[in-house]
Amino acid sequence: MLIITYPFRLALLMALWVLTLGASVSASWAETSAAFSSPAVTARLISAQNGVTEGAQTISAGLDLTLGEGWKTYWRSPGEVGFAPEVDWSTSENVANVEFLWPAPERFTAFGIENFGYSKEVVFPLMLRLERPGEPFVLNTSVTLLTCSTVCVPQNFDLALSLGPKEGIDQLSADRISRFVTRVPVDENSADINTFAANLNADNTELTVSLRGNTPFGDPDVFPELGSGTALGKPDIRLGDGGRLLWASFPVLSLNETTLGDPVLTVTDGPGRAFTLTTAFTDTPLVPPFTIAQIAPGIDQIAWIALIAVLGGLILNVMPCVLPVLSIKLSSAIKQSGRSQLAVRAGFLAAAAGVMVFMWALAAILFTLQRIGITVGWGLQFQNPVFLALMFVVLAVFSANLFGLFEISLPSAMQTRMARAGGTSGYGADFMTGIFGAVMATPCSAPFLGTAIAFALAGSGVDIVIVFTSLGIGLAAPYLVVAAAPQLVTMLPKPGPWMIGLKIFLGVLLVVTAAWLIWVLMGVAGPGSAMTVAALTVVLLVILAWHRAPAPLRTSGIIVFLALPLIAAGTLSQDAAPKAAEAEVINWVAFDRSKIAGLVSQGQIVFVDVTADWCLTCKANKALVLDREPVATRLNQVGVTSMQADWTRPDPAISRYLESFNRYGIPFNVVYGPGAPNGIALSEILSSAAVIEALDQATIPAQIAQPVQN
Amino acid sequence: MKRRTFIGTAAAATIGIPAYRYARAYFEPLPDFEAIDDPVGFRRIAGGLYSASSNPWVGLDGPVAKPAPLITESEVRDNICGALYGQFETNSDVVPIASFSDYNCPYCRILTKRLSELSAELGPRLRIEWHELPLLGDASLLSARAALAAKRQGAYVQFSERLMTTAFQTTPEYLVALSDSIGVDQARLISDMNGQGVQLEIDQTAALARIFGFIGTPAMVIGRTVIQGLISESSMRKIIELERKEGWTQVC
Repeated sequence: MLIITYPFRLALLMALWVLTLGASVSASWAETSAAFSSPAVTARLISAQNGVTEGAQTISAGLDLTLGEGWKTYWRSPGEVGFAPEVDWSTSENVANVEFLWPAPERFTAFGIENFGYSKEVVFPLMLRLERPGEPFVLNTSVTLLTCSTVCVPQNFDLALSLGPKEGIDQLSADRISRFVTRVPVDENSADINTFAANLNADNTELTVSLRGNTPFGDPDVFPELGSGTALGKPDIRLGDGGRLLWASFPVLSLNETTLGDPVLTVTDGPGRAFTLTTAFTDTPLVPPFTIAQIAPGIDQIAWIALIAVLGGLILNVMPCVLPVLSIKLSSAIKQSGRSQLAVRAGFLAAAAGVMVFMWALAAILFTLQRIGITVGWGLQFQNPVFLALMFVVLAVFSANLFGLFEISLPSAMQTRMARAGGTSGYGADFMTGIFGAVMATPCSAPFLGTAIAFALAGSGVDIVIVFTSLGIGLAAPYLVVAAAPQLVTMLPKPGPWMIGLKIFLGVLLVVTAAWLIWVLMGVAGPGSAMTVAALTVVLLVILAWHRAPAPLRTSGIIVFLALPLIAAGTLSQDAAPKAAEAEVINWVAFDRSKIAGLVSQGQIVFVDVTADWCLTCKANKALVLDREPVATRLNQVGVTSMQADWTRPDPAISRYLESFNRYGIPFNVVYGPGAPNGIALSEILSSAAVIEALDQATIPAQIAQPVQN
Repeated sequence: MKRRTFIGTAAAATIGIPAYRYARAYFEPLPDFEAIDDPVGFRRIAGGLYSASSNPWVGLDGPVAKPAPLITESEVRDNICGALYGQFETNSDVVPIASFSDYNCPYCRILTKRLSELSAELGPRLRIEWHELPLLGDASLLSARAALAAKRQGAYVQFSERLMTTAFQTTPEYLVALSDSIGVDQARLISDMNGQGVQLEIDQTAALARIFGFIGTPAMVIGRTVIQGLISESSMRKIIELERKEGWTQVC
């Protein structure tokens, strides 16, 4: 029997935790089933309680799986292939019903196959409802589980958990269950999501979803379920509006029309946030917050990028610090006597190889940096305000360089050494000439190499290789051309003032790109952040241009104002706005038993709620009854005091209070009032009608309710 | 001069490290083998996961009692090469691979694809016998039966390719639609699916899995080497070469 829990609140309704009084924290794993163990998985049943207390209707338990290194098991929707766990408890004794809760899954992508499930460990919380309250029970489960590492092994085992009449909480098990309870997705009422929609395009090839909430997303993932037989590929997830807008697109791998249901979206954002939304398809396509070709360039785009990079490399050759040197090198090499034509050509090829090696070295360094973790997250860099600010600063500084605000120069000692290196002969020397030529060109080429490096950080490894190879081919082109046809050396343009014009033109191009980045940043982080970054960058440029400033002051100023825009982008971004505190619907005050009598004597109604973080039924009561109309309004009325007692950790005061009502577990709710000075204890599972009735009863003053006493 | 050497070395290192990684993967040594006591003559990759031969092998059959298999384990043992590789003239130049897979097992799809590509590349020097080992429930069993029934109409490859690319668990309705689109005789397919021939193949494969102690899928036997789980393509190629060189036919 496979229990699929939808919607989640139904599961919560069934939940009930019963705890015993005199709660001495018991030893670890006090009440568990015998473990099933295999190399792939160790499984057992655990229970938060050491036994069934008097009158207990429900028990909180968990199916606890510890997976071996590298092993995984699956979610209720396993993905393209795989198998959801199945549990059959039909042979249990004194168990009327079991609700099986699914913690939010992780995404596994291996060899292009998308799977959703769990690794390392998972506890599936189980909420048992007893047939005969307060009596011992035996939970017999027959579990069928698929575990995969590089081999997929079905696991088929039986576990039995039996609890007799006993008191006490197994704190270790309770904590373990509650840790995974917090990973069970909450429903749309608690999800803090304002709008959400899903659209299937006309030819059923793409599913897009879009949702907007108050709390920004960090690194979200979306797991849509469209009914059995429909499978989706890897999503393209994009954030907008300071992280509040989440948009995702999924390729549809297969669609089963007959079982296609309303889309159910499970969204996770780190381990602390998960929710499940059910919606109907909308007919209108959902527009992504932005489009960036770099996220997944097609072949034609790659060809364009390569072409532009080759042109960029070619242009580098006519920069003021390259062209004069290049012309002299080329002409002198050709005129050089004593070397055969063949040797001269081979020498040029060696020099070209030197240029390529320089470029590939840059690419390799960049690739390593990217691997080490410079990347912020795939395809998300352009949504990261810090990354955008960095790009903007890089472009602004380099365009200022092109406008001649300041010069980038290599140490003069290094320049001299490199110039001398060209003096020796042989192909090795030619090769070095190529490398050093490229290095010596950096004062001019830095604006472009720097920009290319910054953009390449957002790309894939292939992009990096393509961009830098193409740049290298462009930069090495003069050597290659002259190697092929030495007479073409005369065709090289003559150095002249026109090169300054070119520099300024290229500077303008960089400025335009920088402006575009600020525009993107404004969309991602808001105008405040973007304007601050721009202003701080202007200060940086002023410092850079202020040559006469004392050197230590200038250097430290440069460092500070390089860092400030990045910090400002991060902190001022709306993204970083403090998370909205979980708004309580009811104005709870802390439980204080001594104040109850006083309040009641003033004619007040006092509503007491004893709850705990791990108490699922308490959460169900809160979500379904207390936080809803008409109860919420009544509890917030003037003249009503709502007290909340937190029993997450054993508290003797609260225990004694429960005991005074002859109750041993929670949830526990009591209503006091002029009509009920001793309190009306409510049932474990609340209903709106019962709460309202108790409130009404407590409100009626005793003298009216009992006129005989007058 | 020193600076030159330094820069040259740095450049070489930045390019060399990724190249070294690739090369190491390429020249990855063959895994260690260990001989298997039973069946004699076969060997497996040391340290892998196998069920002890004394343990009863458990699939996902459920509590329903199964009818007696159409072929017993000892009958399979008597002609183990025939059961593994089908009937063909043993020739040490042609290396046979018996592939055991389940349509609902993620890694089986990958291994099957690799094997098909390898088979296309190596041509007649490689012979692949596809075994259906449906361990993962009713949908897997249904798919396996359908593929074996389609084999009787010469449509095994098309059928299993479609099942392999099916991104969900197979249903009877899906199989009907699939047989229509591939163009096999639907009535014959259904009668074959429930026929003795298909059952015999499934029972024989299950017996082989028990004999070799497979605990899951994918699994394969290359010549006389038993492999549980996914292995790299380069290891697979090396084992094929080794089997050809050593003469795998000694086990038959």
